[in-house]
Amino acid sequence: MKFYEEKELLVLADEAISFGAIDAGVKGVFGYPGTPSTEAFEGAEKIIHALNDGRIAHWAANEKCAYEMALGCSYAGGRALVTMKHVGLNVAMDPLVNSALTGIKGGLVLFVADDPSMHSSQNEQDSRCLADFASLVTLEPSTHQETYEFTIKAFELSEKLRLPVFLRLTTRLAHSRGIVKRVESLPVINLGRPSRIETHNWVLVPGYARERYNYLRQILPVLERAVESYNTLTFGSNRIGVVVAGMGRAYFDQLCRQNEVVRTFTRLDVKAYPLNHEFIEKMCAFCDVIYIFEEDYPYIEDMFIARKKSARIHGRRDKTIPISGELTPAKLRKTLNIECPEITHKIEVELPARPPRLCDGCGHADSFKAIKEAFLKMDIADFRVFGDIGCYTLGYEKPHECIHSTVAMGASVGMTFGAALAGMTPSVGVIGDSTFFHSGINSLLSYATAKVNANLIIFDNGTTGMTGQQRTIFGNDIVKAIEGLGIPKEQIHSMIPLPKYHDENVKKLMEVFKAERPDVIIFKRECVQAAKNRRSATK
Amino acid sequence: MDNVNISKPFSVIIAGVGGQGIVTLSQLVMSAAWKSGYYAIQSEVHGMSQRGGSVNAQILFDKFPVTSPTVLEGTAKLLIGMEPLESLRYFNLLEKNVSVICSSSPVRNMPIYPNVDRLLAEIKKIEDSLIVDTDKISEELGSKGAGNIVLLGAASKKLPFTNEIWYQTIKERFASKEQSIIDKNIEAFNYGRKL
Ligand code: SF4
Repeated sequence: MKFYEEKELLVLADEAISFGAIDAGVKGVFGYPGTPSTEAFEGAEKIIHALNDGRIAHWAANEKCAYEMALGCSYAGGRALVTMKHVGLNVAMDPLVNSALTGIKGGLVLFVADDPSMHSSQNEQDSRCLADFASLVTLEPSTHQETYEFTIKAFELSEKLRLPVFLRLTTRLAHSRGIVKRVESLPVINLGRPSRIETHNWVLVPGYARERYNYLRQILPVLERAVESYNTLTFGSNRIGVVVAGMGRAYFDQLCRQNEVVRTFTRLDVKAYPLNHEFIEKMCAFCDVIYIFEEDYPYIEDMFIARKKSARIHGRRDKTIPISGELTPAKLRKTLNIECPEITHKIEVELPARPPRLCDGCGHADSFKAIKEAFLKMDIADFRVFGDIGCYTLGYEKPHECIHSTVAMGASVGMTFGAALAGMTPSVGVIGDSTFFHSGINSLLSYATAKVNANLIIFDNGTTGMTGQQRTIFGNDIVKAIEGLGIPKEQIHSMIPLPKYHDENVKKLMEVFKAERPDVIIFKRECVQAAKNRRSATK
Repeated sequence: MDNVNISKPFSVIIAGVGGQGIVTLSQLVMSAAWKSGYYAIQSEVHGMSQRGGSVNAQILFDKFPVTSPTVLEGTAKLLIGMEPLESLRYFNLLEKNVSVICSSSPVRNMPIYPNVDRLLAEIKKIEDSLIVDTDKISEELGSKGAGNIVLLGAASKKLPFTNEIWYQTIKERFASKEQSIIDKNIEAFNYGRKL
């Protein structure tokens, strides 16, 4: 049997989404890689590739592009899945918020993976707040089977409500492997494009947009009712209550397996938002104490605090649970005053940390070495370099110590330019090719005619190294692309970051840094891991 | 949830360094549990931490549905360590009567690596511990990657799955490879099983 025909699967929850989308008859899958969301796209891509039945899987240049492609696919009548990580959603916010006004045609599901504890992210933002902000519905599973089923249901819900639907996972579920039983797969669905009459919903000029906006504002009760059946309030024999969502629910269910007392608690299982206030009021009327276990922000908790009457609410706000960081089985136990097992094996040696590092033979290391030396030879010992997001973020650490900021995808390009305008000279930034095309390229347009000493160094390894070496969307000559943006040829410099060219590279960098004009330097060398993958693929 | 069954899942930790093959090993344990009719769940680490940093995978299985992919401190029954220092990093997760199977070959991709003998002495304080010289055995078996499967073979004695299930799991995992690779892995597994 082929892997995509198996009826019972052992997969990551991310991949449960891939299979869910396929079985829901998805037409197009779009996304931008970002841990922990990447495998949902990759799983779907693998199946689509094998099925070869006219579906599309397309990595976009960034999350905004991916979202807009998904919206276009939906406009054309097909079901669309778009995948990204939580911070990627910030990039896609513009079309997202407005697509709540236009509505959709083919079901549109946005899978967003949040990363509490920031395993590989720069913050812990909570996508439920952004769904709320856009007035959209969110489904939040807590097991693999639910993830699969909710994916299918999300498409149905999206078409029923004529709105995009969020599917939210957090890292622990997204990156755990579990069992999924599949249902019969639907054929690819096509609902046709919007009729001529309907198209005025899609044209958000004030005259039409006002109408759409008022409509969206009025249907909140409809959204609540549409997802009401997902959420369940079970009265226990006990006036202690728990509210559980996502991993909070997964850990609480596990605890129930091991502890009889917690089974008698009154519990509210939240699997979908917006959460109907009636649940909250009923629960607060019945319970004396309520514990809230949810990932990231105290989102449900704040709704409870607003309506608690005499009930005492314990969660992140009153510091019963730390305000940041993911939930753990031990945190649930401590909160509920349940004994944790004794830790018997204490060790008496010190364990130095083993931080992640660049792969042996990674070109970034040679690039950093050259940049540092160029500064030192120019007698600038206390230099600053703007950094960006990718493997090269490790350039902040020893032994490189070569970058001094990492803010958001593409931020180095704008920051380098802004600092140059403010008088920093030379102003230097580094960025990888994938991140550059993600959202750095826009800021480079400002360099073309400027007269400041802004120097952008692009590490071109042809891949998104950190997330598993997806090919960069832009496959052609990066130099030509930059020329095309209007940067004069003599201000574009290609170098190869190999030890044998080190002295030459340092010399060239010094010249460029000294020149009071914008320059773009391209360090071109293939990612070691991508090269390995390429070799094993062609074997 | 049914109200009758009180049950504690069997928890396994696999510890090592990014790139050592932890995900493959943990998937083998996970598949074997699944094939043996258990409910199983497994967590693993992706992304930044894979770049040569500390990595661990956790597998929990039970006769009843398991929903937590992470192991509670003090409850792991089995630790498979692919590297001495990384094995010690997760000792807080181990239960009193834990079994530990650990490779003695260090991965020294860091500025200062502690004295290996001290690390191994610390591991040996666990009554049911087995230190495996994976480097030497890999050389003996003539295959560089054999060490991991030897560790798995040794660990398999602590897990409630039959040999048939293990062979089938290994065969399926390497199904896309040549027969000689499958044979080599079975050989490595059996070698570990006899340790
Ligand atoms: S994955 Fe590629 S880009 Fe990242 S550190 Fe390794 S070689 Fe460098």
